Amino acid sequence: MLLLRKGRRALLAALFISTAHGQNTAPCAACHGVDGNSVVVGTPSLAGQPRIFLENYLVMTREGLRGNDVMRGLLKGVSDKEIIALAVHYSKLKPKPPVGKTDPKLFNRGREIASKNRCASCHEKTFAGREQMPRLAGQREEFLAQVMLEYRQNRRPGGDTLMTAALYGIPEADFKALAHYFSRLK
Amino acid sequence: MRKTTLSLAAASVLALSVQCAFAQDKPKPPPAWHQGKPAAMADSKLAPVPGKMTETPESDIPISKMKLPKGFKAEIWASGLVGARAMTMNDDQTKMWVGTRGIGRVYEVTNEGGKRTVKVVAEKLTQPTSVYANGALYVFAIDKVLRYDNAAKGVSGQPVDMTKAFDLPPQQHHNWKYVRVGADKKLYVPFGAPCNICEPEKEYAQIRRYNLDGSGKEVIAVGVRNTQGFDWHPKTGELWFTDHGRDWLGDKGPEDELNRLSKPGQNFGYPYCHANKVVDPDVAKGKKDACKDVTLPVTTMGPHTAVMGIHFYTGSMFPKEYQGVAFIARKGSWNRSKKIGYDVVAVKAGPDGKGAKVTPFATGFMDPKDNSFWGRPAYLAQLKDGSLLVSDEQLGAIYRISYEAPAKKK
Repeated sequence: MLLLRKGRRALLAALFISTAHGQNTAPCAACHGVDGNSVVVGTPSLAGQPRIFLENYLVMTREGLRGNDVMRGLLKGVSDKEIIALAVHYSKLKPKPPVGKTDPKLFNRGREIASKNRCASCHEKTFAGREQMPRLAGQREEFLAQVMLEYRQNRRPGGDTLMTAALYGIPEADFKALAHYFSRLK
Repeated sequence: MRKTTLSLAAASVLALSVQCAFAQDKPKPPPAWHQGKPAAMADSKLAPVPGKMTETPESDIPISKMKLPKGFKAEIWASGLVGARAMTMNDDQTKMWVGTRGIGRVYEVTNEGGKRTVKVVAEKLTQPTSVYANGALYVFAIDKVLRYDNAAKGVSGQPVDMTKAFDLPPQQHHNWKYVRVGADKKLYVPFGAPCNICEPEKEYAQIRRYNLDGSGKEVIAVGVRNTQGFDWHPKTGELWFTDHGRDWLGDKGPEDELNRLSKPGQNFGYPYCHANKVVDPDVAKGKKDACKDVTLPVTTMGPHTAVMGIHFYTGSMFPKEYQGVAFIARKGSWNRSKKIGYDVVAVKAGPDGKGAKVTPFATGFMDPKDNSFWGRPAYLAQLKDGSLLVSDEQLGAIYRISYEAPAKKK
């Protein structure tokens, strides 16, 4: 709730602070990490995400179509120009190598499902993402699984609806394997 | 099976009937995305073109790059409508409403004193479009129908939620809707196939019409993959509609379509028969006569061109040869290695659809030299003076195309 109240000014300050001083006091950095690599459960890493993906995400969240109350509150009244600046900033940060133990069985299963469903054709062979399609490599595992579930339940509107269709036919149980695989990629 | 059912029924009639009903009603899951993407294209990096979700100032719109036939000129009529798609106007054209997709807004454009001002009148909707009829603005999202009464002078107040009356199926893909009200005072609403290629459940891949209150649902066309626009022929009153061909069969096609509905209930081929009798290699396997009883298009419209809005020209401003011509916006391809479309074409055809000829009209949005583009023409509307409006979904703007006969040489 504190974040909510801080609102727009804090957000812009955060951009400035995290760019200029790398302090951990800013609203963005508090959850997404000073360097854009999140260590908070359920909160995605932003470092190295494609600029257009970030722009779209921030706009849709501001419009109240995506995200959670905290993010919607922070983005209230933020202009397109400011959103573009945020997107440029985070797209330029370096993603950190993944942490956490790898379960080889789950990892391989995830790789198989990803290959069968041609995930790489949009998200790139390295899963670094491009344009409006997000980076999956090194993203937080529980966040990825959650997002896939939201697509499945029509709770994640997008610029278009292709991602919803891309998950057709993949059982929910397989989301776990996919999330594990992507999260362990550099 | 029958025996088992009977003995089980004896044990628990209620539980079983509930279970059976559930098993029967449960929709078959649509096929996985990779279906229809052959191994040969597994490494293809083609992906939808990203839309632009931030505002483009008028000064950043390269309108001078638009090319038109001699005597025509284009100007920016309105801007700041991020993601602008279909346009609908009140009777005196002082108000226009413009729907969107991803950004979830409906804009209201006030056209007064030669100037346009834009505001958002509905938001937070899943891919909304709008249509003005009988003094009300109907807003159709994928999962919602709202009616704003007394909208002629601008939308205000809370809408009436009409959702329940329309029986909207849940899948989102290809289900943004182009909606119009016909001369029969009915709402015409399409329901696209929720996949690239699949045998969809019976509520998809069709065009329906309803009474204005949502009653009297009637399916008037089937086998329609993804129509993004339609208009009624000015002479015959028949419905002509655009339809997108499927993806992942290569650069050559199957081509998009311009179709004509000459009687209700016609089948336009999806998923078995595309364009001019292209039999589907995935779902029509082993099927005899995949194109039997399929109404073929008036004309094909180019591979992956993304045919959107269609408007039969009825104004007096343009030269005579444009009378009754169908202008069609082609938003432009993504599932093709060389971009195509990104233009407005003029289709000249007989009232029965025969002898159709497609010629470029507004071009220059895309540069074939480097596969780049700046705009994506989406929908068309005609002003009372006979000029033509074109919405550009990419830059969130509306362009006005007008004509002035060249001065005669003395």
